[in-house]
Amino acid sequence: MSDFLRSWLVLVVFGGLAVLLVSAFLGLGSLLRPSRDTPQKSINYESGVDPQGDMWAQSNIRYYVFALMFVLFDVEAVFIFPWATRLEVYDVFGLVEMAIFIFILALGLFYAWRKRLLRWV
Amino acid sequence: MAVDLLTLAFQRPHIDWHGIAPELVLLGVGALITLVDIVFLEKARPITAALAGLGLLATAVPLLTLAADGTDRVMFDGAYVVDEFSLVMKAIFLLSAYVVVLLSTNYVAEGDYWENEYYGLLLASVMGMVMMASARDLVSIFVALELLSIPAYLMVAWRKRDLRSNEAGLKYYLMGVFASAVMLYGMSLLYGVSGSTMLDDIGTAVAAAGSSVPVVTMAIVFIVAGFAFKVSAVPFHTWAPDVYEGAPTPVTAFLAVASKAAGFVALLVLVLVAFPSASDVWEPLVWILAAASMTVGNMVALRQTNVVRLMAYSGIAQTGFMIAPLAVAGHGGGSADQALSAVVTYLAIYAAMNLGAFAVIIVLARKTGSAETTSFAGAFHYAPGLTVAMTIFLFSLAGIPPLGGWFAKFEVFRVLATAGEPWGYVLAAVGAVNSVIALYYYAALARRMWADDAPDGDHAPVPMTPSLASALGICGIVTLAFGVAPQLVARFTDVTLAALGG
Repeated sequence: MSDFLRSWLVLVVFGGLAVLLVSAFLGLGSLLRPSRDTPQKSINYESGVDPQGDMWAQSNIRYYVFALMFVLFDVEAVFIFPWATRLEVYDVFGLVEMAIFIFILALGLFYAWRKRLLRWV
Repeated sequence: MAVDLLTLAFQRPHIDWHGIAPELVLLGVGALITLVDIVFLEKARPITAALAGLGLLATAVPLLTLAADGTDRVMFDGAYVVDEFSLVMKAIFLLSAYVVVLLSTNYVAEGDYWENEYYGLLLASVMGMVMMASARDLVSIFVALELLSIPAYLMVAWRKRDLRSNEAGLKYYLMGVFASAVMLYGMSLLYGVSGSTMLDDIGTAVAAAGSSVPVVTMAIVFIVAGFAFKVSAVPFHTWAPDVYEGAPTPVTAFLAVASKAAGFVALLVLVLVAFPSASDVWEPLVWILAAASMTVGNMVALRQTNVVRLMAYSGIAQTGFMIAPLAVAGHGGGSADQALSAVVTYLAIYAAMNLGAFAVIIVLARKTGSAETTSFAGAFHYAPGLTVAMTIFLFSLAGIPPLGGWFAKFEVFRVLATAGEPWGYVLAAVGAVNSVIALYYYAALARRMWADDAPDGDHAPVPMTPSLASALGICGIVTLAFGVAPQLVARFTDVTLAALGG
């Protein structure tokens, strides 16, 4: 058996063990615990309060716009934090680079603002 | 390998400003269009199309100076290369995009669709394609691919109030994301094998590992499959007809030409630079893709009653021809170079004739309001010039001399037949049979336009606009010129990749 196949064998053994362990514990639990179903118990869990309405609840499309705006700032932060910790090393080059980056992202924000997407009507 | 990051000195990357000038100009024009939109809103509508067109022409200026300069430029440790191949492909992208802008102006304005954003997104997508032509590293390729795809997903759904356009957008988005995921998985495996994202290093690592290593095979299959989605090769073509039909027709033209060419660029670069030594893996794969695309595309095209769907299936069949030279590209001794220039030649000619055919469809559909083949009947009686143009484009697509498509097919057959490889001859035979089948449906459409009577006897002239006329003119002249004087196109497309030692 080649090295390659042997290393896959390890994976198969571990996978088998994982399945076995999980089913053993779950099976053991279901054997040992008492089983007394009430209608209350089969209600969906919703943070402790009784669930309301259908599961196909629609949410306002505006949340989607705000999620997108959030991504805009999120991406900005992901790149700005590492840059900010090493600000002095990147010098003017880094400053100009970051200014261009922020300008392009800001275009997106200005666009949203000008198209009245930031307003919650 | 514990490198103390804090003591690592920062080296300002060397940037060849001339080398990335085309990208910078495109970025600038794209930002300008967005700014104009922000400031003037709807008042800017009349000028954004002109801005986009001028921006694309302005981008061609640094491209020409780079071509005149002629030296290969390597930036960012080899991740970004400007060589003959990338310059020619950038020129094809810019010209196709320019024609698409010409085709779009009336369509977008008359349909009352968002106009400023349309051109901003179009330029962003073109920028992704232009970057793709230069990218020589997995990360750059992926970023370029997403940059060119994401605006395209939006543009496909641009006919906002039309359900079919929405469906097309969603379908294209889901299929595109799925293809990206598959390809990204292949790339991650490749990175695992080689420890580098540079295509050169991957080429060395793949050669050292040998193609018998299952991981390498898997990575190559996944990556080729991912790009097969992008170029709509059978069996990864299912999205194409629905998306082409639902999308605004200029966007369809853009997808069928520029987006497909971008997929081919990435495929060529990856196959010829990153895995030339694993040719026993990708050659059979490409062979199957080519034969299946030609055959299935043509067979299904025979039954189409909608011209756009017909063009979609014809595009799938053409993909088969374009990808075919790659099936014999792995034998060394210049076979890679020959396949490369055959594919680039085909892409250049295909761009002209396919955009031309779409231009005629857009013009005629403005009058008839439908893209059914029956509504094209009798076009000769009220639009003789357009009918002649459409006939030229259709026969060029079929590969009849002396039109451009003939030379494109000739190059493909020449590469297949001179490879000295039995499978090459078989593929050439499959291609020859398919050329005959393709002629049937192209000629049937032409015959309908020439010989049949117009539906309802409506012989009112077709409304023409200057921009549509110039788009038709550009495509027609290029198609004819490349067919009558093939040495013209051969001069431009006899390219080499810098990495192939050209």
